[in-house]
Amino acid sequence: MKLTLKIWRQENAKSKGKMVTYKMSDLSEDMSFLEMLDVLNQSLAIKGERVIEFDHDCREGICGQCSLVINGQAHGPESHYTTCQTHLRSFKDGDTLFVEPFRANSFPVIRDLKVDRSSMDKIIQAGGYISSFTGMAPEANAIPIHHDIAESAFDSAACIGCGACVATCKNSSAALFVSAKISHLAKLPQGKVEREERVQWMVNAHDNEGFGSCSNTGACAMVCPQEVQLIDITRMNYEYNRAVCHSKE
Amino acid sequence: MAVKKGLFKTSVGRKNLMAFTGLFIIFFLVIHLIGNLILVIPNSFFPIEFWNNVANGHDMYNAYSHFLVHFWPVTIVAYILYVAIITHIIDALLITLQNKKSQGEKYIVTDNSTSSWYSRNMGILGTVIGVFLVIHMAQFWLQYKVLKVEHDLYELVLATLKTWWFVLVYEIGIIALGFHLVHGIESAHRSLGIYPKKIMNTIKYIALCFSLVMAILYAIIPIILYFK
Repeated sequence: MKLTLKIWRQENAKSKGKMVTYKMSDLSEDMSFLEMLDVLNQSLAIKGERVIEFDHDCREGICGQCSLVINGQAHGPESHYTTCQTHLRSFKDGDTLFVEPFRANSFPVIRDLKVDRSSMDKIIQAGGYISSFTGMAPEANAIPIHHDIAESAFDSAACIGCGACVATCKNSSAALFVSAKISHLAKLPQGKVEREERVQWMVNAHDNEGFGSCSNTGACAMVCPQEVQLIDITRMNYEYNRAVCHSKE
Repeated sequence: MAVKKGLFKTSVGRKNLMAFTGLFIIFFLVIHLIGNLILVIPNSFFPIEFWNNVANGHDMYNAYSHFLVHFWPVTIVAYILYVAIITHIIDALLITLQNKKSQGEKYIVTDNSTSSWYSRNMGILGTVIGVFLVIHMAQFWLQYKVLKVEHDLYELVLATLKTWWFVLVYEIGIIALGFHLVHGIESAHRSLGIYPKKIMNTIKYIALCFSLVMAILYAIIPIILYFK
């Protein structure tokens, strides 16, 4: 199959970027989107041009490293997919695809399609952890947890921190990302110790990193590869208000 | 790390303020609608004089508006309402400014299929409502309550709504309000953190039905009065 790619090329964070057109032919529809970029990069390397830089790691849909906005959709046209799991069969022969980096003020472009998402790490550092004894892993059944609660906590814990929610949000808010971690830990007994502090620390870190506020449009949950639910944001708001009103003394 | 305390200071807190003020304005909208409906009660509804020389819609509406202006608890609530509306607007501007700052470079291609247009454009809808509100208050609130140049509010309303383009302005304002409410009611509950899933789904449907009923009832009044 044939595709016309219009890819964002940008030298570094300070320079101005532009779309560059690449015509691809002899593509197999069983190729993943990233494999197609590999093929394109190989042809560029042979010609002696600078290759297109993009983020990727596991290519199994679990690490959250790949990004890209394809035709305006974070991680491409398939809902709840990562870019590495998107295959060319999702597109039609002869399609023109616009490939852009995740865009947000808190995600500065490093080069081409590669963005710096360390702002999300800083939010996690602010409170996305629990206090626990170090050493051997504790006995799994030492703290009884209801099956439904464990499942629900895992649904939130499934967030891979890819940043598609931020890229999609019209306000560049990381509310879905923050709320996934807050919900995950608020549901479990292990997370209850820092329950009040965590939500305030993480929401403050979120604001300090320059993310916007949530308008509840729900677009983030529609693109999330891990299907983190919008209800997590609502739960985060509950946790926040509870924490502000609740005093430990 | 410095933690901003308080219900209204962070990105989550500022949305609380939007929700509280928004819900209070909705409470007012219901009361306002009930008052408006007096305008369209047919005279045959008043078989006898039933209260304080009130024998028709004209008298009842004027008695009602006289009561609103001269009953002091209503005046207090009115002042709370002015504060709520102004806070709602200022908070919206502050949130929007921060959100604009958070956005990076614009996408060359955008896909909007993942959210509704009215949820994305609450600011534009709010601006339309705001412009409408200025026109609306200049017509009635200023004339009747502040300048006190007009004493028969019923006649003033009727005379104003005989102009077709005023009716059009009202319809535009009301349609914007309807869409603002559909997203606003759901979003307010989400912002305040009312999260159990069953309740949230119910609120979504209540928000839709409530907004529809409000918009339709508000919208038919100017049309009825135009043809009256």
